[in-house]
Amino acid sequence: MLSALLVLLGFFAGLLGALTGIGGGVMLTPILALHFGIPIRQAIGTSLVAVITTSAASSSVHLQRHTTDIRLGMTLELATAFGAAVTAYLVGYFNRNLLEGLFAGFLLYSSVMILLRRGKVKDQEEPVLDGNGETVIPPYEPQRYPLGLAASLVAGGLSGLLGIGGGPIKVPVMFIFMNVPLMVATATSNFMIGVTAAASAIVYYRRGDILVEIAAPLAVGVFVGSLLGARLAPRIRTKYVVYLLVAIMLYLAGHLFVHLLTGGRA
Amino acid sequence: MSQIREPAFDRVVALVLRVGAFGCFFIMLAGLLVGFFVPGRIPQNIERAGVLLMLATPAVRVLVAGVLFLREKDWKFGAISFGVLAILLLSAIFGIGEH
Repeated sequence: MLSALLVLLGFFAGLLGALTGIGGGVMLTPILALHFGIPIRQAIGTSLVAVITTSAASSSVHLQRHTTDIRLGMTLELATAFGAAVTAYLVGYFNRNLLEGLFAGFLLYSSVMILLRRGKVKDQEEPVLDGNGETVIPPYEPQRYPLGLAASLVAGGLSGLLGIGGGPIKVPVMFIFMNVPLMVATATSNFMIGVTAAASAIVYYRRGDILVEIAAPLAVGVFVGSLLGARLAPRIRTKYVVYLLVAIMLYLAGHLFVHLLTGGRA
Repeated sequence: MSQIREPAFDRVVALVLRVGAFGCFFIMLAGLLVGFFVPGRIPQNIERAGVLLMLATPAVRVLVAGVLFLREKDWKFGAISFGVLAILLLSAIFGIGEH
């Protein structure tokens, strides 16, 4: 029964994630912690499995459209994987309250940022197609690698700490500072998430912080949900879905704060 | 330099990710279905295999890309790929922390 519920939860997280471009892992961790009574550190580790699944499935699609810069991604992964492994290791020494507080703060911050941008999450460029229906990408040369690597280190660190992808840091840095077209920056960020999440997930797994019997049904649901979401996305006005997700995130942030203040009784 | 050019390269890396994702999905699904009929360790071990394959998929993707770079005699990005792989392996070795 619990498995069926987790499949359903993963399905909705995957669906909302694919429709909005906001990683579903942001929702899964606090829901596991608050409603399934799983300690937050294990909730983070467990939802990392779902994050890797989503990244693998979605970046295989981006790769087939040839919008991923594998060289750039691999270079920045040196920093994201390192940052993620280090913070994943440090999390072993954090107490529960600190992690819950950080997560609640992160949810609040992300919600406010999305509301300030009036629900616009992705500044999606319309892909330009050539005569054969292939995506045309203007020539570019990535610049300011030191800055890109530094930002990737921070994104990776956040990923290992909270089990999130770090797209909101990497995409703007690649697009604005490294001179990479937005479409390529988005695809490349997505591509990097799998390796980044794996670097920290391995550490969580070794510590016993990935609950296999929770991670499997969750990942199964997320996989189906994100495939369906990716198909529906072009046909749905995703703005309202974004507001729904923000409402859920704000509720979860509030609930986490209450949970903290009451010492875990609410 | 790092513009996107080699379609075959992209296809191979995409294939690795797709095989990993679909493979894990079906293994985990099998674990869940078995779990409805047979309680205990067997379904859990199937699910564990799925989770471990998912954790290994990104590492395999890095390895495959590294080998492809070396075959193109692109030493710089071959070295970068194996650097990323080294970080993943080190996190597996030292990733113990507090139990």
